[in-house]
Amino acid sequence: MLTVLRSVKDLNTLRAEAQKQLAERAKKIEVKVHLGSCGIAGGAKTIQEAFIKEVSHHQLSDVAITEAACIGPCGREPIVTIVHPQKGRTVYAEITPQQVPTIVERHLIEGKAVSEWLLDVKSPEFSLQEIRVMANQDMDPRSIEEYIARDGYQALAKALTQMKPDEVIDEVSRAGLRGRGGAGFPTGTKWTFVRRAMGDEKFVVCNGDEGDPGAYMNRAVLEGNPHSILEGMAIGAYAIGNVRRGFAYVRAEYPLAIQTLNHAIDQARQHGLLGKNILGTDFEFDLTVFPGAGAFVCGEETALLASIEGKRGNPRQRPPFPANKGLLDKPTTLNNVETWSNIPKIIVKGADWFTSVGAEKSKGTKTFCLVGKINNTGLIEVPLGTPLGQIVFDIGGGIPDGREFKAVQIGGPSGGCIPIAHLNTSVDYEAVTALGAIMGSGGLIVMDENNCMVDTAKFFLQFTRDESCGKCTPCRAGIPKMLEILTKITQGKGTMGDLDILTELAEMVGSASLCGLGQTAPNPVLTTLRHFREEYEAHIIDKRCPAAVCQALFHAPCQHTCPAELDCPGYVSLIKEGKFIDAYKVIKQRLPFPMSVGRVCDHPCEVKCRRAQVDEAVSIRDLKRIAADYAYEHGVQYLPPVKPRKAERVAIVGAGPAGLTAAYELVREGYGVTVFEALPVAGGMMAVAIPEYRLPKRILNAEIEGVLKLGVELKLNTRVNDIGDLFKQGYQAVFVSCGAHKGDKVGIPNEDKQGVFDAIDFLKELNLGKKPQIGKKVAVVGGGNSAIDAARSTLRLGAEEVHILYRRERKDMPAIIEEIEAAEDEGIHIDCLTAPTKVLSANGKVSGLECIRMELKDFDTSGRRTPHPVAGSEYTIPVDTVIEAIGQRPDVSFLKDSEIKSGRGGTIIADPRTLATNRPGVFAGGDAVTGPKTVIWAVAAGQRAATSIKRYLQGKPLSQFIERNGYEPIEIPNTPPTEEEVKERHRLHPSHIDLRERKASFKEVLLPFTQGEASEEASRCLRCDLEVAGEE
Amino acid sequence: MERPKPVGPITVPGGRGVAGRIFSQIQASIDETKEEAGALIPVLQRAQGLVGYLPQPILRSIARDMRVSLSEIYGIASFYSFFTMVPRGKYVISMCMGTACYVRGGERILNTVQKELGIDPGQTTHDGLFSLEMVRCLGCCGLSPVVAIEDNIYRRVTPTKMQEILGTYA
Repeated sequence: MLTVLRSVKDLNTLRAEAQKQLAERAKKIEVKVHLGSCGIAGGAKTIQEAFIKEVSHHQLSDVAITEAACIGPCGREPIVTIVHPQKGRTVYAEITPQQVPTIVERHLIEGKAVSEWLLDVKSPEFSLQEIRVMANQDMDPRSIEEYIARDGYQALAKALTQMKPDEVIDEVSRAGLRGRGGAGFPTGTKWTFVRRAMGDEKFVVCNGDEGDPGAYMNRAVLEGNPHSILEGMAIGAYAIGNVRRGFAYVRAEYPLAIQTLNHAIDQARQHGLLGKNILGTDFEFDLTVFPGAGAFVCGEETALLASIEGKRGNPRQRPPFPANKGLLDKPTTLNNVETWSNIPKIIVKGADWFTSVGAEKSKGTKTFCLVGKINNTGLIEVPLGTPLGQIVFDIGGGIPDGREFKAVQIGGPSGGCIPIAHLNTSVDYEAVTALGAIMGSGGLIVMDENNCMVDTAKFFLQFTRDESCGKCTPCRAGIPKMLEILTKITQGKGTMGDLDILTELAEMVGSASLCGLGQTAPNPVLTTLRHFREEYEAHIIDKRCPAAVCQALFHAPCQHTCPAELDCPGYVSLIKEGKFIDAYKVIKQRLPFPMSVGRVCDHPCEVKCRRAQVDEAVSIRDLKRIAADYAYEHGVQYLPPVKPRKAERVAIVGAGPAGLTAAYELVREGYGVTVFEALPVAGGMMAVAIPEYRLPKRILNAEIEGVLKLGVELKLNTRVNDIGDLFKQGYQAVFVSCGAHKGDKVGIPNEDKQGVFDAIDFLKELNLGKKPQIGKKVAVVGGGNSAIDAARSTLRLGAEEVHILYRRERKDMPAIIEEIEAAEDEGIHIDCLTAPTKVLSANGKVSGLECIRMELKDFDTSGRRTPHPVAGSEYTIPVDTVIEAIGQRPDVSFLKDSEIKSGRGGTIIADPRTLATNRPGVFAGGDAVTGPKTVIWAVAAGQRAATSIKRYLQGKPLSQFIERNGYEPIEIPNTPPTEEEVKERHRLHPSHIDLRERKASFKEVLLPFTQGEASEEASRCLRCDLEVAGEE
Repeated sequence: MERPKPVGPITVPGGRGVAGRIFSQIQASIDETKEEAGALIPVLQRAQGLVGYLPQPILRSIARDMRVSLSEIYGIASFYSFFTMVPRGKYVISMCMGTACYVRGGERILNTVQKELGIDPGQTTHDGLFSLEMVRCLGCCGLSPVVAIEDNIYRRVTPTKMQEILGTYA
């Protein structure tokens, strides 16, 4: 083949030859091994060797093994693409050497792809992307012939021979290409400045420093499509004029990129595409690669140029801008790798093609690195203007392990965190800036509920402090000062005043710093303060880290996260040693309902369990149950000491978990406590909503009895109608914990017909011993725990077919996942994306339910997609029973004359920390204040109420902290886990009773662990509370 | 900016031994640069590549040969994190502390290494086997947390795996 190309005709001849060669090769089966840095890190070279060995072993002459670069799904390396002449392209992911022989036999020889190992290239992850910059990633980056075969260097040829320099700049301006390095400055405008600058020697420079942690898009292009950069820079050099030399500054941490780029330059020189008289014109241009030496600040324009000049990477004042005085004081244009890479296509395909996608002021596509807590980690390319939520959920596949999305960090250390409420934000330069962040180079780091935003801001400041060049005072001295304040806050020593100082400092550093590093360093602080202020306040006021990350504030994350702060490592370690009674006592001192909570809790502790970083979380809740059950079965009941009786009396309205816990705490302090309960039984939702098969009533009653035994007076069937009356009766303080028992109505016609129930009313009737009359075919509307409870109960009452109708998707259902799975196991149909429109009736009874299909559209501020009815998609299901379980609210009608304010959803307004209402002496907590939540939150509310009431009665100011009673010390084992115990093994889950038995009775479904199983599971605990593993 | 040209041939200290060879290679690098601006950094990179770090005699020699003040060279060597003026261990462990790795538990891996080897970032073990460095993003974020030891990149590292990996270098 031709080497030196002396004219455009030569180029076209080479193209034709190269295309012919590729066409020949395309007759064979091509096995492309992706050898980008990620691929190599994943072991792709071993895979390549395995393929070579297997193919030679089978003597397959119709197979060609080639190399390509990174194509995107980096989290699933090593990746191999197979291009079959008849069957097309398939992509294998996460290949191991052991799988290679099978692929060779089945796919290469027999022609049948091994579908279980394939990537689904038709899934939204890929179909929503628009591949332009990354179009050459699947080609051999070391082959200039392949690049030319794909129309490489045609743009340069066109520019040099058919366009004037000004015309080239016009085309780039018309395309509206904005700098892809971060600032988004219009490229055509920048080039115009340089073109107009005075001087007969000018430079073009490529910024390949890519220092943002989390961003590696440029690396992929440098490794995969190096010639596009060379071509782009040559075109730029031509357009600007008087440019004979260019530099590509590539960070030293990218050795493969440097190597590949140098190789491409050598090839281009050999072919006469760099050097003098390019393609037979009088245009001359050459390029040198300049490796960086490990300084983030050298990504800044003036610092980078100083570095090329061999100096310290200190930025300097602008103006003068590099366009006038840049490298060696000559006019220079510095553009990002991706910006350069876009140029050839703009010239060949035209500005109109480029602007065919994108947002109004942000045209074209952008590559992004989607990393962090996301399922489909990797490199993507989408049109600018794509909504953030689509990127995170549709392309990214959502958050792993069912965790909740919290924020996306965009723009690296110069950027900001975008929270759930803004998932609809279009990812374009203007919209992102409006949220206080910057687009940056394209790193999108996804964070979930286990990431602390204060800690994240601290992390970024540590980075910018280390990388600050030190030249200007605001950055050099301001950033460490901000970091000091943030560190203080994460250690629990912060004050609210610190937040004001932090904001002031941040604004000063941002406005007074010399260069972009300092100017944008405060952004992570400012955006987290803006969007996550409650998290800062939790650290400062409550000395709590909601994400359980800031180690100085706690010992074990499980305990810290538990609303009641139960000593999980304590009782788990006792269980490990077989000391079940001691474990029970540790729990019971703080929680009056260990057997109940050990059955029904939604276990926030397990979500934070650090064992999950090794294999899976510890079954903390199930262990709690074992210890408590053991004590019960052996007749052991722990009764805490009670102080001598005081004069003051407290009234509690509602005998649910909040009220009874408050009673438990207050009676121990010696106060006279009376609990008023309107229903004939105590226990609140635990008694009347949670069904028998989840929580047997004799268990619950035993625990309630344990509270009453301490001297609490309980008045059942006694509804409180007037708070003022309680004070007249001689109570000095009142805790309102009446729960949220009033079911919301769906609001469709014929809800009043016989056969339509409210879920809570239905469950209440059932649990109070009456048998609600239900039919054979049931539809339950809703997706929370009440819906599941109702559905599984109807099955046990004889229903033959039960449907749960939910208007969003299964993963959005608020019910506990184990409950959803249990319902499915029992044969209950969960119909998602549907909502009822009308109850159909015949003879006054329910005969069916008309429904309509839903589709999910934009995100709402809770981070979930809003369901919209699909016009014309109505359908009917034949049912004879409908149960509505879409929500509950408190019945606060009895407060009408009490001056106590209520708010949204009829909930009582109370201070979230002290539980004080606007009326002195009256406190409120639990579901009545928060709306429906879980038992453990109600227990914590009871503890808070007790603290506040105690302080109130003693005349002390109220506190934001829960004061828990003095405990009987129980010795907790303090041996850390052994090496054997830390090794990966499976989590033990409790088993269920037989399925037939389940569906036919209300017998308790979950079987307990045996003692041996309990000790085994407990030994998986890492004892984070001992802090021996080098924590702070 | 033009630098004054060196006067006459420069005698290379160390003569024919290992030191002499190293110095001649560095001299050759300097000659290759042909007095270009910006040559200093590649020369320092080459020197560190040969010696493993930048000891004072090397810096002095380069300062003299390139007609640059020692303080300027010191300024460059101390600014860029890739240059080190203290010897590194046989195996340099580069712990990625980029955001993606951090978000996926990178700090825990760092603590494991600190505990196992008894050194902090920037230090070397007594036996000269390991040096620990923190790197801000190796660009393999899809496989976080990532640790690099020399040219080997380890991905999805957990504390248990880290201990095993260190064991293979003993």
